[in-house]
Amino acid sequence: MLTYTPGSTIVHRLDPRTKLAFQFAFALVAFGTLTLPRLVGLFVIGLGCLHLADLSIRAVLRAYWFVLVVLALGPLIAAITLGPPWLRLDPAVVSLRSVARIVPILFVSAAYIHATPIRETRAAIQRTLPGRVGQLLGVGVALTFRYVPVIRADLRRVRDAIRARNGDTRSLRERSQRLTVLMVVRALRRSDQLAVALQARCFAWNPTLPRLRFSRIDLPVWGLSIGFVAFAAIDLLGF
Amino acid sequence: MASNQVESIDLVDGQTVRQLSAAVMFAALTAVLAQFSIDLPGGVPFSFQPFAVFFAGLVLGPVWGGFSLTLYFLVGLAGAPVFSNAGAGVGYVLGPTGGFLIGFVVAAALIGFVAHRSLSPGPIEELSPISAAVALLAGLAVIYLAGVPWLASVNGLPLTRAASIMAPFVVGDLIKIGLTVGIVAGGNELLADWR
Repeated sequence: MLTYTPGSTIVHRLDPRTKLAFQFAFALVAFGTLTLPRLVGLFVIGLGCLHLADLSIRAVLRAYWFVLVVLALGPLIAAITLGPPWLRLDPAVVSLRSVARIVPILFVSAAYIHATPIRETRAAIQRTLPGRVGQLLGVGVALTFRYVPVIRADLRRVRDAIRARNGDTRSLRERSQRLTVLMVVRALRRSDQLAVALQARCFAWNPTLPRLRFSRIDLPVWGLSIGFVAFAAIDLLGF
Repeated sequence: MASNQVESIDLVDGQTVRQLSAAVMFAALTAVLAQFSIDLPGGVPFSFQPFAVFFAGLVLGPVWGGFSLTLYFLVGLAGAPVFSNAGAGVGYVLGPTGGFLIGFVVAAALIGFVAHRSLSPGPIEELSPISAAVALLAGLAVIYLAGVPWLASVNGLPLTRAASIMAPFVVGDLIKIGLTVGIVAGGNELLADWR
């Protein structure tokens, strides 16, 4: 599983807003017209990001195995026809070209995950999105991250309780309905507790946010991101 | 010298805190159920994630249901491994199944709107099974309308080919809709307490 790992690489030290901007700009270029030299360029940049974040390709491939399997099936499915000649190369090549662009995006994304704590992303969301929606999303992201393990433990308890009462032998309808209702009820109960806790702590629209600051190393990455966006725009307009 | 600047605290009102808390829990529930399935005879996995999307819309309504799934989406985008098979990040979202994730957000909002016919949700025990079923079918349609063309585009497949790949999953999702309607129609006194 790919998660944040503390470190002092250049990618770790970048401002999260810079890293997010770079990811989206990179994806824009990847989704433009795809030629072989451009694909090679995307892979070089993607692998470069992994290197700069001190993350191994093996860890990325292991983390994204499911995505890669679905991607790999694309050309195979495209090649198969339901009659003679049974296999056609041209659609497979089109599909292969289409799926290949996703892999370097996965590399850049993995470097971000590896080098950026969730709380920094939360702060980036809160500082970038204007108004109360941005504040609620920022707080919501942080709280959701905090509560996933709690709800997971609830699920384990519910499942064990059902199993202890021989619930595994019941029909699919009974098992799934019981588990779903119990999980929804528990989630709602927890939400009531969370609401009380937030109000007890004077949950406000104007909290003190974590400090984010651009530094000198962000500049070239912003330059690159702007270059990517310009490149994608030129590509889109067909110049 | 100590600063004399004092900023007054602008408290978030109780109803918003309550809805935000519930949205957070449904986002967390979606994340947990994305990793959970039970095996049907023959080893076919029966995923529970759609139940979280369905109930987010039915219980929280269009605004907070959609907000809840947006939180789930952002948490995954931020790097927490909350998508299916512990996936995360922009790369996952732009991958073959990313359209379904976007479909979840729209579907939760649409389910809430169709079921309650209003931006603010009513009590779930007052929902009729028919309006719940129509809402869930509309939500499911949105999920596939977002997911299938995305899958086709990313994998470079014709739309019909992508649709035929996804067709078997529709059967499972229709069963889940039936089970959800069964819960709504069954009185669900456990759920009735919350609003």
